[in-house]
Parts: sequence; structure tokens; C-alpha cells
Amino acid sequence: MATADDSELLKRLLAGDQQAFRELVTTYQSAMRAVAYAIVGNRHADEIVQDAWLSVVRNLSGFEGRSSLKTWLLTITANSAKNRYKQNRREVLLDDLPSPHGTVDDDRFSSDGHWLLAPFAWHQDTPDALLTEEELRECLEHTLLSLPQLQSSVLVLRERQGLELEEICNILEISLSNVRVLIHRARLKVFATVEHFEETGEC
Amino acid sequence: MLSCKQQVARSSDYLDGQLSFRQRLLVRHHLLFCPNCRRFIKQMRVLSATLRKLPEPPPADLEQTVEWMMRERSR
Repeated sequence: MATADDSELLKRLLAGDQQAFRELVTTYQSAMRAVAYAIVGNRHADEIVQDAWLSVVRNLSGFEGRSSLKTWLLTITANSAKNRYKQNRREVLLDDLPSPHGTVDDDRFSSDGHWLLAPFAWHQDTPDALLTEEELRECLEHTLLSLPQLQSSVLVLRERQGLELEEICNILEISLSNVRVLIHRARLKVFATVEHFEETGEC
Repeated sequence: MLSCKQQVARSSDYLDGQLSFRQRLLVRHHLLFCPNCRRFIKQMRVLSATLRKLPEPPPADLEQTVEWMMRERSR
């Protein structure tokens, strides 16, 4: 359902308030880019987002508020991306790629499943404290970009954009079990990277 | 009882509320007795919250995009 904020913004958009369009783009463009990136990859993602924005403008008066504004925008983005690439319908790529600092894999455990190398205490252990370090912020951005395409998108949509798993499934047309696998792999790689950062001070 | 490795394998599903009641109890039971895994889960939670708060730069092409949208609107 559309929120009160959505309705307020929508009113201003329909009235042609340029500042409202600025707010719309500022608030939602990165989520839209994550959706486009999941479907068409890096090379065409920006193009798809631009297409989607124009489509949003053309269809704004038809937005009925049955979903949130965000879900509506992300669905338009996914449709723009899929229309463009109808011919080569993508398979969900669950193939995994190694990450620079690895992941939390079998090597961390003994044969009976106990930790061989247990997690250690971090210097900073709250989000705000971690984010005060510029190098770590950059390192996180870098890590998100270095993940395989779908892992990156799904993690960004889940964590950074706060989408529910079901919303991610619906927008990207991926099964729940695949979304769960993708998120888990992505999180473990981010975990390994931050652990490496806490240990060495380097990304 | 779950092993640490099994607990780690279920950690995202645990955090996302995707486990069955029984599975969730198994994880909770393991966490009760395993300080290493308690630390792991706590750090996983911190990372989720950190990614949520990671500041996003404003879109680089903001003004251009808004201009296109205004133009499209007046068509």
C-alpha cells in the first residue's frame, strides 16, 4: 500500500513540482539501479534506469497506490529491463565467484563442524562506529561491486533498500530459495571482508 | 544439537525469519551454549545494520534526469 509520504510526494509530482522530481530520483534511483543491474548487468543498467524514469513520468497519473511507490517504481524498472532483453531470457546464475577475502567456508571448521578459526572481537562493533571509518565505508562499497551480479543486487535490495525477501522474489522473478542462497553467500563474503579489515586495517 | 558449521549455514535464514519453528529452536539452543556462534550472529546483525546505514551519494546525473523527466512530462 502507498504510504502517507507517497501520497504527499505524488500530489506534488502530479502538480509538476520540479523539487518533487528531484526528491523522487534522489530517494529511489539507487534501488532502481540495483534492479536493473540484476537483470541486464552493469553495461546497460543506467540506460534501463533512464527508460524507467520516462515510463514513470508517462504513467504517473495511473499510479493507484495499491503498492508502495517504491514497489511500483521497481516493478516498472524490472519491466523496462525485461522488455529490452526479452530475447535472451536470463537464467538465474547461482554460479559462485571467489571473493578477494573469501567467505566463511569449510576451511573455518573442523571435520566435526566446530570452529577451527572462530570469529574474533572487532575493534568497532556497532554500525555507527564501523561507519566512522572512511576506509571501511569505501571497502564496503568496493565489496558490494565485486560480488557476482545477482548476489550484489539481492544484498543491496535486502540490506540497503530494506526490501522483504518476497518483494525481491516478485520484482526479479527469482524463487525464494534462490534469493535465500544469494543473500547468504553475499553476506558471508561481506563478513569475511570486514573481518579481514578488522584484522589488518586494509580492504 | 547443531554444529557451528550448520548454525552458520542457517544464519541468514535465521536472521531473515525464514526458519521453521523447530529449526529456529535448534539455532537458539545452539547459540545458548556457543559463545563463538553468538559472536558470529551478532556480527552478522551488525553488518546488516551497517549496510542499511551506509550513506549513499546523490545520483550523479540528478539534474539531467530531472530535466528529461520535466521535458517528457510537458509532451
